[in-house]
Amino acid sequence: MEESQKQHYSIQEKNAIFNNEFLPHINSMYNFGYRLTLDQDDAKDLVQDTYLKAFRFIESFQKGTNAKAWLFRILKNSFINDYRKKTKEPSKVDYQEVEMYYNSEEVDRQITPDLRVESLKDMIGDEISNALNALDVDFRTVIILCDLEDFKYEEMAKILDIPIGTVRSRLHRARQLLKEKLSEYAKTMGYKNS
Amino acid sequence: MIPEKNPFVQADGAKPTCMQMLQLILDDEASEEQRLYFKNHMDSCMPCFKSYSLDSAIKQLLKSRCCNDSVPPGLIEEIKFQINQNTAS
Repeated sequence: MEESQKQHYSIQEKNAIFNNEFLPHINSMYNFGYRLTLDQDDAKDLVQDTYLKAFRFIESFQKGTNAKAWLFRILKNSFINDYRKKTKEPSKVDYQEVEMYYNSEEVDRQITPDLRVESLKDMIGDEISNALNALDVDFRTVIILCDLEDFKYEEMAKILDIPIGTVRSRLHRARQLLKEKLSEYAKTMGYKNS
Repeated sequence: MIPEKNPFVQADGAKPTCMQMLQLILDDEASEEQRLYFKNHMDSCMPCFKSYSLDSAIKQLLKSRCCNDSVPPGLIEEIKFQINQNTAS
């Protein structure tokens, strides 16, 4: 990422980068923190911690490069190293299984229930948000980065420290699981075979 | 012009599945040539057509329903205060 060469900034330059390049992303950062921790106070702590780290290591950041991806990477690392260790066990997703699944012929068969666009139109409440929050955190993360924040696969690979192939397969599996959840909601809303 | 050869085929000759093609289209990761090929492919592949409509709708729904959290009031000021404290000391 943009941290290979150390920069030298005056205090004015540091403040300008912080205010003009880092702070505009704070709502996205808070949303990311909240979707990872599912707790408003924890999200707030995570965002604060990320911004303090970003300022401390600002000379690792090259002015004018992708600040949003840099900040998301710091937040993700803080979440894994500080937050996740303190609270829950690491996730137990078998990525080898996911990779094998994605690369197999099975993938084109109809595995998820036949969810319909029409049934989505009635999901005007928290259904989609709840479905997203119910996913395992690693699957949730790729959907947040791709669908909510519009990161490219290459940026996601850098943020998450995984190969692009893994980004694709994880995203594919995450979407399958999300559709399964949405399909369950659709059934409870009265759509048969939805 | 619609490409005759499938532009999604990888360097090692591996043929992509419908879902792998669809994902690149959906996430705006496909080239212009790939987009044209897929558009044409969708006309004759009902599962791709249905999946494209559904996946696009889910993507839009996610964006409209899950991006509305704003940072709590006072947090920006708190962060700036902490930075000033740290740089002053």
